[in-house]
Amino acid sequence: MMPASWMLLLLACCGHGNPKSVGQMLPAEPGGDFPSDVRSVFLKDKGHTDKMEVSSPVNLTLQCTWTDNKVDNITGFWRKDERDIDNSHVTLRQENQQFQLQRMFIIKDEESLGNYSCVFGNEAKVDFILTVPHMGDVRDKPVVSYVGDSVVLLCKMDDNKPKPKTWLWFRANGTDKEQIDTVTEPQKYQMKNDEKSTKLHVYNLTHDDSVLFYCSAVFAIGAAVSHLELKVITIYEPLKPFVAIVLEVLVLVTAILLFESHRSKKAQAQDASGDEVANAEAPNAEPPATTTVTTSSGESNGLDENPSARQRNVENVAQQKQ
Amino acid sequence: MAGVRPGAESRRSGEAEEPDGGWSWVLVGALFVSTSLVFGLMRGLGIFFVEFVQYFDESAQAISWIASTGLAAQQFFSPLGAALSKAYDAGPVVMAGGCLAGLGLILASRATCLLHLYLTMGLLTGLGWGLVFTPMVATVMASFRQRRSLALGLAFSSIGLASFTFNPLFQFLVETYAWRGALLILGGLSFNIVPCGACIRPRRRPKKPEKVKAATESRQSCGGALRQVASYLELSLLCERPYVTYALAISLLNVGYFVPYVHLVAHSRHAGFSEYQAAFVMSAAGVTDILGRVASGWFSDRGHFRLIHLLSAWTTLAGLSIMLLPVSSMRGSYAALVGVSLFYGFSSGALTSLAFTVVPTVVSAERVMGALGLLQLIESCAGLLGSPLSGLLRDITGNYMASFVVSGAFFLLSTLTMATLPHFFARTDPPLLPVMPPMVPDAETQSPSSETEPMNESPGDSNQ
Repeated sequence: MMPASWMLLLLACCGHGNPKSVGQMLPAEPGGDFPSDVRSVFLKDKGHTDKMEVSSPVNLTLQCTWTDNKVDNITGFWRKDERDIDNSHVTLRQENQQFQLQRMFIIKDEESLGNYSCVFGNEAKVDFILTVPHMGDVRDKPVVSYVGDSVVLLCKMDDNKPKPKTWLWFRANGTDKEQIDTVTEPQKYQMKNDEKSTKLHVYNLTHDDSVLFYCSAVFAIGAAVSHLELKVITIYEPLKPFVAIVLEVLVLVTAILLFESHRSKKAQAQDASGDEVANAEAPNAEPPATTTVTTSSGESNGLDENPSARQRNVENVAQQKQ
Repeated sequence: MAGVRPGAESRRSGEAEEPDGGWSWVLVGALFVSTSLVFGLMRGLGIFFVEFVQYFDESAQAISWIASTGLAAQQFFSPLGAALSKAYDAGPVVMAGGCLAGLGLILASRATCLLHLYLTMGLLTGLGWGLVFTPMVATVMASFRQRRSLALGLAFSSIGLASFTFNPLFQFLVETYAWRGALLILGGLSFNIVPCGACIRPRRRPKKPEKVKAATESRQSCGGALRQVASYLELSLLCERPYVTYALAISLLNVGYFVPYVHLVAHSRHAGFSEYQAAFVMSAAGVTDILGRVASGWFSDRGHFRLIHLLSAWTTLAGLSIMLLPVSSMRGSYAALVGVSLFYGFSSGALTSLAFTVVPTVVSAERVMGALGLLQLIESCAGLLGSPLSGLLRDITGNYMASFVVSGAFFLLSTLTMATLPHFFARTDPPLLPVMPPMVPDAETQSPSSETEPMNESPGDSNQ
């Protein structure tokens, strides 16, 4: 009596199916009160991969339709994670030049996720990869902080992904992961959660905290895990380039100031000699008039006397020379 | 033989060297470095934004006040920098400013709460920046006569170039050392302003005994001290119509100036272009900005036109191109948007080269330092208005058309204000009344009056 009642159920809920293609076969367990969903793929060439994210239990019907006019009959079957599913082999005949495979799967826990394949003989197959929703924005560079300081580790789901039921944090301990309990160690860890994001505040960092941290978004069907690497350094790390730069600045400043003082000493010496020359040549000073910076070669303006007088004197000297 | 210029340097050491000489270009290099370490660094602080929001768990608005405080402090303390440079020399003031800026960043690396960041990274570093920028610009302007605009244009191109290099550099520093270490290293980098200040040669002070006696006497009285401070700050400029007109024009310019920088990317996205396309528009405008600064500086030094006319022309063109920005993207044409943005970048860069070099044509040379300081202060108030106003317009109207049009209108208003400057329509620059009695006022020259300390020099040197 059992097979007959299952056939009735099949016709009732999947009445639109095509009884001629003989591609349907019910799984043994009941579907429970999970919602239903259908995923279809039309295959044109040899293979196709379809990725799908599942966050809560669902009765998922996977459909594969393959167009080929080379063969008339083919054996189709289902695989999960590279292992053939028993009792799934059927012989297919063409319907409008199409072969169709369809099967309902109950996806209820993390084990039922994975790689489902519908295979058409040796010719073609479609892979359905079912996973928990991934976390976006995985930071590949380590998070850096200092000994004694605190740090905030952030994990978040993208806006278009479903909301997790809860968040958990783990830290690596050797090869294991141990869960972080923010209740028992409140002065070391604090967790602040949003709908789509979680922040772990870690205080009083030490070198032992330079490990991998794992954040886990827990859904009804399983957990998505992402990891962050924390690197704890001492203040001496940035101090090295800092000291190098300060040294460079000191060297530059000293060089420039030395150059300046050398140059001004040279100029003062030349001014002194220029004064002597000019005094010897033109003892008559003239009243001030307009002046410019220019001098004739070989002599210099007196620095604190009437520059205009100097100018006139120099001009006189020059004219005398000519 | 008289009047022959000496070869390398003027024998009058201590005065600014012969204008446009070898050491003047060293000063341009110093201005290049210090401007990039002030404004280029300011623009790169956005990298720390995300880190601060996460670490201190504060809102985006609270964090963005840090950069605003820094900019406001730089502009507010500019008159102080100008006054100190007049009282003492520009060199030590710039060096002190560099030390303060670096110290502010180093202290910020130890911050434990947001207030610390406001006080150190905002106030202290901003104070340092204020002591650096105005004295350096005034010194460079004083050491050039013929190539002033080109010198400033070359030096200010450092802002755009620094933004290109600092962004990836800061990103690397934050990833390697976290924000604390990165700020520490930035403080060290800011110390590089100190060698720039060391390049400034001390100003020669003539020993005029009568003046010194009068000065010491007046210093002993409180009123005398106040008068001295007011003279250092050049507060008397606020009573002069040309200067006030010019300051008003620059302030109007400032209201609209930053709006495209802040809103261009958002507007591009709003018009339907992708993130990369919008970012490219901004980068393209940045490149033409650099080109505009240098090209306009070179061209205006040719002397074919008065600086104020060129500035008005570039301001009008920039204003028109800002108004065209929302129109160009209306049809969804990416090429039109990029074209108008390139033109906007070029014209807005071109006008920045000239905005400072016009000041010596409006005030006499010895007041340029104080004039620049006050100008920074006045224009800072206007700059604070611009972005919130355009944001408000965007919120009210729902798109960026109104805010761009209003910004462009401010540019055009600025041009109109400039046109009310005395002798605007004259063919040559008007003669300026210097503070000291002139020896030979020279009204024939097209270039601005003498730029060096004129204690014993007459304005208007006709020896070209």
